[in-house]
Amino acid sequence: MSVEAQRAVAFSSPRRSLFAGLRRIPIGVLLLAFILCVLILPPAFFLIKVSFHVSNPDGTLGDLTLRHYSSLFTERFFLPSLINTIVYSLGTAVVALVFGISQALIVERTNAPGREWVFLGAIIALGIPNVLHVVSWLLLLGRAGPVNSALAATLGPDYVINVYSMWGMIVIEGMNFVPLVFLLMSAVLKSQDASFEEASMMSGGRPLRTFWSISIRMGMPGILALLLLVFIRAFESFEVPALVGLAGNINVLTTNIYQSTRGQGFPRYGEAGAYSVCLLVIVIGLIYLYNRLSRNAHKYQSITGKGYRPRVIDLGPMKWVGTSVLAFTFLLVTGLPIIILIFASLQPFYEGVSAGSFGRWTMENYALLRDASSFHDAIGNTLLMGAATATAVVPLTALCAWMAVRRAPGAWILDQLATAPLVFPAIVMSVAFLYVFVSLPIALYGTLLSVIIASTSRYLPYGMRYAYAGVLQIHRELEDASASSGARQLTTFFRIVVPLLAPALIGAWLFVFLLSVQAVSLPLLLVGPGSEIVAVTLFDLWQNGQVTELAAMGVVWIGLMTVVSSIFYYVTRRFQIS
Amino acid sequence: MNRAKVGRLSRSTAYGILTACALAGGVRAQPSDSILLYQGPDREKRLLEGARKEGQVVIYSAMIVNQALRPLVDSFNKKYPGVRASYWRGDSEDIAAKLAAESRAKNLGVDVVEGTGVGELVIEANLVQPFFTPEITNVPENLRDPRHLWAPTRLSYFSIAYNTRLVPPDRVPKTFEDLLDPQWKGKMSWRIGSSSGTPLFITNLRMAWGEDKAMAYFRKLADQKIVNFGSGSARTLVDRVVAGEYPIALNIFAHHPLISAAKGAPVSSQLMDPVATTTATAAIPRGVRRPHAAMLLVDFIVSREGQEILSKADYFPVRADVDPKPELTSVVPTKAGVSPNLVLPEQLGKYGDSSEKIYQDLFR
Repeated sequence: MSVEAQRAVAFSSPRRSLFAGLRRIPIGVLLLAFILCVLILPPAFFLIKVSFHVSNPDGTLGDLTLRHYSSLFTERFFLPSLINTIVYSLGTAVVALVFGISQALIVERTNAPGREWVFLGAIIALGIPNVLHVVSWLLLLGRAGPVNSALAATLGPDYVINVYSMWGMIVIEGMNFVPLVFLLMSAVLKSQDASFEEASMMSGGRPLRTFWSISIRMGMPGILALLLLVFIRAFESFEVPALVGLAGNINVLTTNIYQSTRGQGFPRYGEAGAYSVCLLVIVIGLIYLYNRLSRNAHKYQSITGKGYRPRVIDLGPMKWVGTSVLAFTFLLVTGLPIIILIFASLQPFYEGVSAGSFGRWTMENYALLRDASSFHDAIGNTLLMGAATATAVVPLTALCAWMAVRRAPGAWILDQLATAPLVFPAIVMSVAFLYVFVSLPIALYGTLLSVIIASTSRYLPYGMRYAYAGVLQIHRELEDASASSGARQLTTFFRIVVPLLAPALIGAWLFVFLLSVQAVSLPLLLVGPGSEIVAVTLFDLWQNGQVTELAAMGVVWIGLMTVVSSIFYYVTRRFQIS
Repeated sequence: MNRAKVGRLSRSTAYGILTACALAGGVRAQPSDSILLYQGPDREKRLLEGARKEGQVVIYSAMIVNQALRPLVDSFNKKYPGVRASYWRGDSEDIAAKLAAESRAKNLGVDVVEGTGVGELVIEANLVQPFFTPEITNVPENLRDPRHLWAPTRLSYFSIAYNTRLVPPDRVPKTFEDLLDPQWKGKMSWRIGSSSGTPLFITNLRMAWGEDKAMAYFRKLADQKIVNFGSGSARTLVDRVVAGEYPIALNIFAHHPLISAAKGAPVSSQLMDPVATTTATAAIPRGVRRPHAAMLLVDFIVSREGQEILSKADYFPVRADVDPKPELTSVVPTKAGVSPNLVLPEQLGKYGDSSEKIYQDLFR
């Protein structure tokens, strides 16, 4: 029994009051909870408030009502949409996990040649803005796309595939999450002792069997967390359902709400709010469940006082199979979308990949970008915003995750708080922050700082999941050793936990950075004249430009993100080595 | 913190103190509506003086930034060196949401709002005030608001787009009735989720044909199983037609296919009588902080100079004395021999909810 558990038992007298309970919560937890509340409560309050009030035609809120909730459930498309949503979210999670975990296992545990390039591939993929990712897949798999042209040419016109379908949605959204799963999973594996796998291999276990019965099982708490994360994100996702699903007449809950609220007049946030509140309740339940499941997570902790070193499994000639799997995944997740974007960006118009299209090339789309001064002005702002957001999110969530995993009294609330923004729809969140900042007596409204605060709130859950998965793997005996040598808690955190957690934290920083710089709907309402960011220009082009111009902008953007991430990656690696 | 913001804050504090002093001294401060409606011979001079004191002006607009909004603001800044205009670009719904939030918090950052759906939204929410611009006399009568709450800024004509490889010339639908031909079942698409999407298509026919005829038509049209294009703009939808995803798209901006066709894309537009026609509008918020500069900017947008900039950016000018780009005139209804049906902001508002309901009941 750990010291803390003993203490908890010792203190649990029947006369314990709520006040005494509160007093037992460490000041660190209270402080973190306070910071999280400042970031999360404004949008949460707004969400709950709009969900219980009538939305007036002028955008103000009227009387109390339960109508948004009742109409959510009585809507004639509710049941089929709910079923579609569950199939879609589960499917997405399975696709993303299968590809992402296979990638991570091969990269972290085997000697498959070329594995060190997968990180770069994942990072490039993360730099592709969501909208562009979907567009590129539609260019590939659409009726006029190269895949269907090839199918029609070889098998006949009856064998064309229809991407505007459930499988199309699952594949596209699934591919979108592969880099996230890969990065998180490899953070888990990096910090997981490989000696068990070694033992298995020495006892004659084949690589696949070893992966299945050792690596996967040991990483289970992390994998479950990932499943939860992807499932929830797909549950509240909008782009793929709107761009892919609606065109094939497949409704999920988010598009259902969109269809019934965003036709006319001020956007009505009531139903979207009600949906988010329901989702929030479900997520709190799921996290509770998850916490119960991973209560025995210490069973999985493998970084202990014994020297640990993740070792590489020699696959022998099989290593080329590993490389092929990696190459195939890279092609699907990063290669094909970018190739088709580059192709489209060099065309005067996109009409599929045909003999005719190879006869017409143009640089006109790039020339347009050269003259797009709004794009150039925004780059500095964007990089600053992304870096500040990531720098705020990562240390905050690392502390929260550490406290939560170590089960500091009351720290479970930190996990709940930091995860809540996951279900706030970006558009509702942006309106909520708009109202907060515009009413503040200090002049934050319209500044870049307001965008940084809002996106810190939005991306907390991602930092949290990264850090959580990392901390789970670290056995507390190292910290106990530090504590019994007289180190204070914070010293232990910075000298013991942070270095062990570094790979996960670096991944988290880059991930939050890449996500926050491409967000559109959140910063759109918050930026003022002169503090624009690139993604908003991208959105402008998406709204008004031709798809070839959008592709050119996307290629430049992805290039820029790749350079920035590579520099970051290189520098941090050098830093770690020294 | 934003420097302009600090400046604005300290300036407004200074104004506040000045106003308080003036009131205490028994002198009435001049409310902004008197200058907005002023028509005296020295109007220009007073606007210029006032605007210079105000120093800047902010517009929220839905125009394309690089081709239209930015050149417009740059020319304004060149013409009036003492006033610095800056812009924020968003969709109509976003502009309205931002203005509503600023108004309610009494923290108005914007001086002029501009967009196609904006007028209807902000008028209904009672967020704007009347103004007078002398430039309005150069605008056709039917584009003027009798309440003076908005000024027209740019026109849009709506038509169908079709892929010229998939729709041979002899089969191109020429009338709304032609769209009911069974050969187009499942082959047409239209844009939902925006007031210039399905609600405009439905409102246009209800206004032109009357409720009974229009409803009978919509019931037949519903059998055609139109694809509801859910996300992305009308421009995106035209690109899908170019790519051959849909042979026909309904209710898109008539000039977009022309721009693509000029590059060789297999797409064209076909106007149908009555042609849905809308105008984007500029409006000035209630309690505007910089009324003189706001008024100057609205004058400029409707002026010959401003309209020529917009015409160059592929918009259709509202003034009779400014021509659209020559290559786009073929979709101007009066020049093509079909009748335009002007759907004004207030009509979009009035018909909007019921048109949306027709969509929900028949086409979802």
